[in-house]
Amino acid sequence: MSQAWLLLAGLFLPLFPLSMVFNDLFNRIGNGKLRIVLLMVWPQIGVAIVHAAGIDVPGWIMVWALLTALLYGFRSLVLREVSLWVSFVATSAWAVLWLVMTADVAWSELFYYALGFSVPLALLIVLSGELETRFGAAYTGLYNGIAETLPRLSGVLVIAVLAVVATPVFPGFSVMMAAILHASAQSLVTALLLLLVWLVWGWTGARLLHGLIIGDSKHTTVSDLGSGRAWSYGALLVVMAVIGMNMIGGLA
Amino acid sequence: MGQLIVLLPALPLLTGLMIHLLAGQLGRRAARISVSMAVVAFVVAVALLAYMLSNDASYQVSAGGSWGILLADPLSSLMAVLISGISLIVRIYSVRYMVEERGYGRFFMLLDLMTASLLVMVAAGDLITLLIAWHMVGVLLYFLLGFDTRSATASRYAFWTLITYRIGDLALVLAAALLFHAFGTWSLPEIFAQISANPGAHQYFGIALEEVVGYLLAIAAFARSAQFLLHTWLPYTMDGPSPVSALMHAGIVNAGGFLVNRFAPVFVNTDGVLHLLFVVGLITAIIGSVLMLTQNDIKKALGYSTMGQMGFMIMECGVGAFSLAIYHLIAHGLFKGTLFLSAGSVINEARQHDGVPKQDLYTFVVERKTLKRQQPWLVMAAITLAVPIVILFLAHWMVAQDFYQKQGAIVLLFFGWITGAQLLFATYRMGAQNAWRLVGMVIFSFAIIVLGYTVISHAFDLFLYPDEAFRRQIYAAAGIDVFWFDLLVVLTTAIIVAGWVLTYYSEQNRLWRKDQLNHLWLGFYALVSREFYLTDLYAWMTRALLQAAARLNVMLRWR
Repeated sequence: MSQAWLLLAGLFLPLFPLSMVFNDLFNRIGNGKLRIVLLMVWPQIGVAIVHAAGIDVPGWIMVWALLTALLYGFRSLVLREVSLWVSFVATSAWAVLWLVMTADVAWSELFYYALGFSVPLALLIVLSGELETRFGAAYTGLYNGIAETLPRLSGVLVIAVLAVVATPVFPGFSVMMAAILHASAQSLVTALLLLLVWLVWGWTGARLLHGLIIGDSKHTTVSDLGSGRAWSYGALLVVMAVIGMNMIGGLA
Repeated sequence: MGQLIVLLPALPLLTGLMIHLLAGQLGRRAARISVSMAVVAFVVAVALLAYMLSNDASYQVSAGGSWGILLADPLSSLMAVLISGISLIVRIYSVRYMVEERGYGRFFMLLDLMTASLLVMVAAGDLITLLIAWHMVGVLLYFLLGFDTRSATASRYAFWTLITYRIGDLALVLAAALLFHAFGTWSLPEIFAQISANPGAHQYFGIALEEVVGYLLAIAAFARSAQFLLHTWLPYTMDGPSPVSALMHAGIVNAGGFLVNRFAPVFVNTDGVLHLLFVVGLITAIIGSVLMLTQNDIKKALGYSTMGQMGFMIMECGVGAFSLAIYHLIAHGLFKGTLFLSAGSVINEARQHDGVPKQDLYTFVVERKTLKRQQPWLVMAAITLAVPIVILFLAHWMVAQDFYQKQGAIVLLFFGWITGAQLLFATYRMGAQNAWRLVGMVIFSFAIIVLGYTVISHAFDLFLYPDEAFRRQIYAAAGIDVFWFDLLVVLTTAIIVAGWVLTYYSEQNRLWRKDQLNHLWLGFYALVSREFYLTDLYAWMTRALLQAAARLNVMLRWR
């Protein structure tokens, strides 16, 4: 029975090849709001299943989860469509939660950890919507140089991507630190695999930004974010940073 | 005084945030605010250093939790003066230099945040704060180097820097995790106290924890200080603004030397880590210097020069001369910052008129002509070999008579001798009209440099590591078996002297003009001019990885 629950949990805290279900579903849903709901709810269901079913997470699942995280992080390197990139990075990030789950972490914290990964990704979906409104698509390499023409939007986009790739002091950083603390106690290979995942996130994040904000822009007619929206996105990022700092305190 | 260490990073952090939030209203005044606050930060740093010099009392300020601890000690106060000083100069320079650039306010905001991160990094009293600051320096440098968002080249090379730094960051993350596991605290002073009280008490999969952590810290230092194999980003980041190059070469790349000094209590309890630092530093110093000589772009040559200097700094750490590495990074920071800030003027001057004086140095270096009238070579050879030895021995005799018992000191003496001899050797080949005057000047300058270097580094030693037993421990950790050490010294001396003799012999007999040797020489030059094909190799690996990722996506139908 617990095997069945484990499989079900592997669907929501994606483990390859079960992860293909989430990615397929995410890309079939064209609606941005539904995508945001999916990003927020999907991993929470996974955590809840593991918690409710009282699954004793086996050690081997850590390697499986890490390989899934690495696979999706690696594959996201060449993606140009922002929403597809978000779904791959989400898969990669949520797989890391398996590591934290095998550690001695309170269940209530696990829900926050999942949110820590989901919120910045959801914000990216919102921002990709802003890009689609202006250019018809959120696609890297299609209309370079938005830093020139849309400074507010690109500023928020840059910080959101930094939050997604677990830059200090955003919540992702705390989750990764908690995972490293646990993985390094298990084995050196696990720890190195996790560090590799983190390295790939940095690479993929930089590639996404390069494809969107760098270059000479020819689109001079598009309008930037209004100051109200820019402030609200900024405020959300500040709140995330504050929560992240609070989560770092919990690492002790 | 307790608040000074908090005030230091808080000042640039505040101005950075203020410039960001009020960019629209501030306009060009952003620079004035940034510079004014930088002046205050520099004064605060000097006051902190003065306090440290007059009171032998380190202290720490905590935000109240397990992290957010700032440590005021000799190392952090010294580094704070360097960072705040250089960043002040860079900001004053940037006020006019960047005035026509778009994103003027953004530039000063990034400079302020970078300064704040660097100051937190050197004052971090716990692993988490250190990790955050260490990580943020890499991220902010990425944005500073790619400041011109229209330039895809600048962005590409900024990315090279970011990814190399990430490799180092992650090694540091793992080191921090292992230390936390073993000692149950993030606090650096507590961890160091436990290590000193009970060295070798913890193991990691059968290896002493200090050893594993030492290697990880070494990787972090190598990535940050552009050591061989992790160096390719450094010479290519010249598309960034000149003030950023100055700040990077003067105050960021030398963080490797800082890291080794900060974790000195870990390194003194390791076996082979310091030897690795020595070898990697030596290789980097040689390769950096060789590559520098083949560059025709002044900024790229300066980049490789920094690589060589960083190699030398890491090598100094490897022989146990930790405080000398700090002196080296300060001295290098000051002269390299000056060179970068004046590089633009030099290029501009050279474009307008070829004002190179036709003197001995010009004819020797540029026209490769030596005068026919030369001094007796035997006398010059004797001076070449003997004078550096006399100066070096005199310098160290004045500082500490037991210096020769330390292998590290002997290695540095040896390098000083080679450098001095090489300098005099080149002077002899120059064949100046007034050779004795020139040689006299060279010897005088050499003596001043060596004496200054020795006395100052000794003063640094006393300030940074007042505990004599600890100083001895550092040198002991860097030492190797006396037999092997002596053998290495003899072998290296033999190789170098043989090299000199061979060079002399081949030049006398014009051997280089013979086809076979000429071909060999050209082959070597091609290898060096392509930077040992490392950049090509990394580019090829990157392309291969991206192609593999694309193939996987097709295979798995983007799911």
